[in-house]
Amino acid sequence: MSYEYIKFGQEEKDFIEKIQEISGQNIYSCYQCGKCSAGCAFSNKMDKTVNQLIHFIQMGQKEKVLKANTHWICASCLTCTIRCPREIDVAALMEAVREYILREEPEKMKIADIPKDVLNKLPNIALVGSFRKKTG
Amino acid sequence: MVQYSYFPGCNLKTNAKGFEETAIAVSKKLNSELVEIPNWNCCGTVHTMTTDNLMKRIAPVRVLARSKNHLEDLKDTSNHVVTLCSMCNSTLKIVNEEVKENPDDLETINFQLEEDNETYSIDMEVKHFLEVLRDSIGFEQIRSNVVKPLEGLKVSPYYGCMLLHPEKAKIDDIEMPTVLEDLMESLGAEAIFSPLFKYCCGSYHIVDQEDIVAGQVEKIVEAARVRGANALAVACPLCAYNIDQQQKVIDEKTGRKDSLPVFYFSQLMALAFGESLEINHFEDHEIDPRILLEELKLL
Ligand code: SF4
Ligand code: SF4
Repeated sequence: MSYEYIKFGQEEKDFIEKIQEISGQNIYSCYQCGKCSAGCAFSNKMDKTVNQLIHFIQMGQKEKVLKANTHWICASCLTCTIRCPREIDVAALMEAVREYILREEPEKMKIADIPKDVLNKLPNIALVGSFRKKTG
Repeated sequence: MVQYSYFPGCNLKTNAKGFEETAIAVSKKLNSELVEIPNWNCCGTVHTMTTDNLMKRIAPVRVLARSKNHLEDLKDTSNHVVTLCSMCNSTLKIVNEEVKENPDDLETINFQLEEDNETYSIDMEVKHFLEVLRDSIGFEQIRSNVVKPLEGLKVSPYYGCMLLHPEKAKIDDIEMPTVLEDLMESLGAEAIFSPLFKYCCGSYHIVDQEDIVAGQVEKIVEAARVRGANALAVACPLCAYNIDQQQKVIDEKTGRKDSLPVFYFSQLMALAFGESLEINHFEDHEIDPRILLEELKLL
């Protein structure tokens, strides 16, 4: 078994604090049972599962959190939120990570790059929904 | 005739015209008319889960304020604002609860709304039309309006996420809902249970991650098909679009010919009530439901 030494200084604490502030959740309520990941319909597409991402947040590992695709694969279905035995709004944590990024770099999705025929064809709620989730 | 203040939301005027027109038609037949709020705006579709972003909460609160004003024009009405789209329903219900819990936030939002001489004072109740059908009208009355029972239709209710999530917005039991099953049976159709009844369709990822949606749709449809379903019933224009359109894509790729038509629950009501066919706007569907309906002699 190998161990990884991590830094846990002010920068890490600030990151945790910010995610808790945006989401309104206590990140340490999570006891890593994995139920959120087990029920997530998109776990197989995520490079880090939902509870792994939460563990990284607990440890203040900002780089690892921001590098993961988890929060961008999340479709805000809220299954994790309704099932968490610790009553954590897990989906709000995913949203907080997205928001953390979008508040610095507001264009995860470039609306100008979407072809016109796609824009015309798609339902308004798909467009408004994705713009709200993927732009700042 | 009872009248309800009705919030359509954007899609009911574009991709989901058949949903709106059939719902309005059956609402009249059931003496519970859906009357559109004048000057409504988009609710924002997806509710923000941040604690600190009030900007994204202004639009849905404005909808509630305008619905409240609308009540003055209605007869025999209650403080209900009724939605058809399950995403609007969820967004409006959550924001309504949030401003109840956080009066300070409401005050800040009202400060914005006052620029247009509007304010909201937490006096509306958000209802999905399915709740009105179940709780105010009742399945018995629905059954008594059926002139053409939907015999042979084996329809699998697909709830999607937003009719049932989160706790604040649910219209039925979160893990074991029955409202769509009960409605289908009252129309004479057979309801087919699928374990993927609320397995997320991929939602707004259709815009830039279509492959995610394709994978979800394949599983959702297959789960219903292997249990013998010949159609799906939905309440969300985005679920409807994703499932309908992605099946078409799968068909084109694989040559499959056993796709399941996707109906809004209100379209099935309109068919069973003998309403005119045009209001269904079946021409907007990729998987044409008329083929199955003809086979079953329901046209
Ligand atoms: S379900 Fe809740 S407690 Fe369990 S790992 Fe996920 S967030 Fe943590
Ligand atoms: S809200 Fe996101 S993380 Fe949670 S179950 Fe749904 S897709 Fe997965």
